[in-house]
Amino acid sequence: MRFFSLKRFGLLAMLVIALGLFIFISTHAKANTLPTGDQSNPPTSPNWSLAGVQPSSPALVVTPPPPNTDTCLSCHILGQNKGLWTPLARWVLFGSLGMVFVFGVYRSANTWVTKSPWKPLTNRAADWVDERYQISEPLSKILKKPVPRYALNWWYCLGGITAFLFVVQGVTGILLAFYYKPTPEAAYASIQYIESQVYFGSSIRAIHHWCANGMIVVCVAHMLRVFIMGAYKRPRELNWVSGVLLLILTLVFGFTGYLLPWDQRAFWATTVGSEIAGAIPAIGNLAIIFLRVGWNVTGETLSRFYGLHVIVVPLATVTFMAAHFLMIRRQGIAKPL
Amino acid sequence: MPENEHSTEDTIPFYPDHIRTEFYVVLGVLVVVLIIAIVAMIKPVGIGEPADPLNTPLHVKPEWYFLSLYQILKKIPPMILGIQGKVIGVVIPIILVGLIFIWPFLDNKPDKSKKIYWIRLAFVIVAVITIIALTIWGEVS
Repeated sequence: MRFFSLKRFGLLAMLVIALGLFIFISTHAKANTLPTGDQSNPPTSPNWSLAGVQPSSPALVVTPPPPNTDTCLSCHILGQNKGLWTPLARWVLFGSLGMVFVFGVYRSANTWVTKSPWKPLTNRAADWVDERYQISEPLSKILKKPVPRYALNWWYCLGGITAFLFVVQGVTGILLAFYYKPTPEAAYASIQYIESQVYFGSSIRAIHHWCANGMIVVCVAHMLRVFIMGAYKRPRELNWVSGVLLLILTLVFGFTGYLLPWDQRAFWATTVGSEIAGAIPAIGNLAIIFLRVGWNVTGETLSRFYGLHVIVVPLATVTFMAAHFLMIRRQGIAKPL
Repeated sequence: MPENEHSTEDTIPFYPDHIRTEFYVVLGVLVVVLIIAIVAMIKPVGIGEPADPLNTPLHVKPEWYFLSLYQILKKIPPMILGIQGKVIGVVIPIILVGLIFIWPFLDNKPDKSKKIYWIRLAFVIVAVITIIALTIWGEVS
């Protein structure tokens, strides 16, 4: 039962902060307000006629509010002019506290009437979930699994760091994908937009950039550790094989992601990178056409790399990671000599 | 006793003990991530000139992790033993990756002594130094 308990408030607080940051970044861009310079062409509703939508259908047209008068939750009632976050935070804080209070009153009354023994709210919630999912017994079996003490060594944390960096890449990558446009006309400008207009945009991009490099380094270090210690020996052969596949997938991540900013470095790195693939005998030309969608790096290449980078490779990576972790679980951590 | 079963003295439970140590490692990584985030606000990663297919820059380089491979391709003589040098420069790394891939099936005897660790370590050091040297050569050339 204690696995559901909220004793570890620090963890919960970190999750809440992370979620709050995620929502904040994905709903805010400085470009909401007008640029100070050229005011002759204020942002209006999107030009739907270009998208083949009749501009006369008013339900589809959303007109942004005039600058510096953002909507808020209760402005129309109170006549105030505040940001969205103050009322939202108030509602979340006092609303949830009020709910807890109301529920506490209800439970107290209930306990008093039925004479059933009192239990903390979190335990009741956990019992309620467990009654329906019956998860606590298998979960405790999974969680109580003994781990050998020799695994508490600095060399054994490299794989875990790689997995965590993958999570970091996933979160920052989703945030970047919210603002990125994978077309040759717009890609460069959208990166500039992320760097200058999106809140914490330059931080997110830097984290994505440096953690990608770090992930390759840590991944290779993990592989060398496993190799030196001979942890790939029977029965862990397939774990090694899946690990090499994961390393290759990490490199493909790096290769496909490098093109996306669509600057000179990216363009020519991809050109020579796919030239390496093109030198493979027999299938070289096929490889070039698969990677570049034609003989040259063009906008088609950008679309393809974007698709590979955000859909194909992540799915493959998650699959092989699951296999990798499951095998570690089943076979235990290899014992050094 | 099979290898993946241990007596209770030399083990710790996965939860909470092992999870906690992993969590500290994660916290350490998070601190590094935070430092990157703060530094990036002062000095962003930035973006170069927009891509221009008609204008080849002077020093074209792939990403650093492909640089050693690219350097081999660049410096290999055009013909070796009647085979195109480029083909050799690509096929040998591919064969090496294939070897790494199936390595557990080639080296399948259990380790006898710790000496083998040192042999493998020496092998790794030589390989890593070679790759780093090629990468640096590619970076400066």
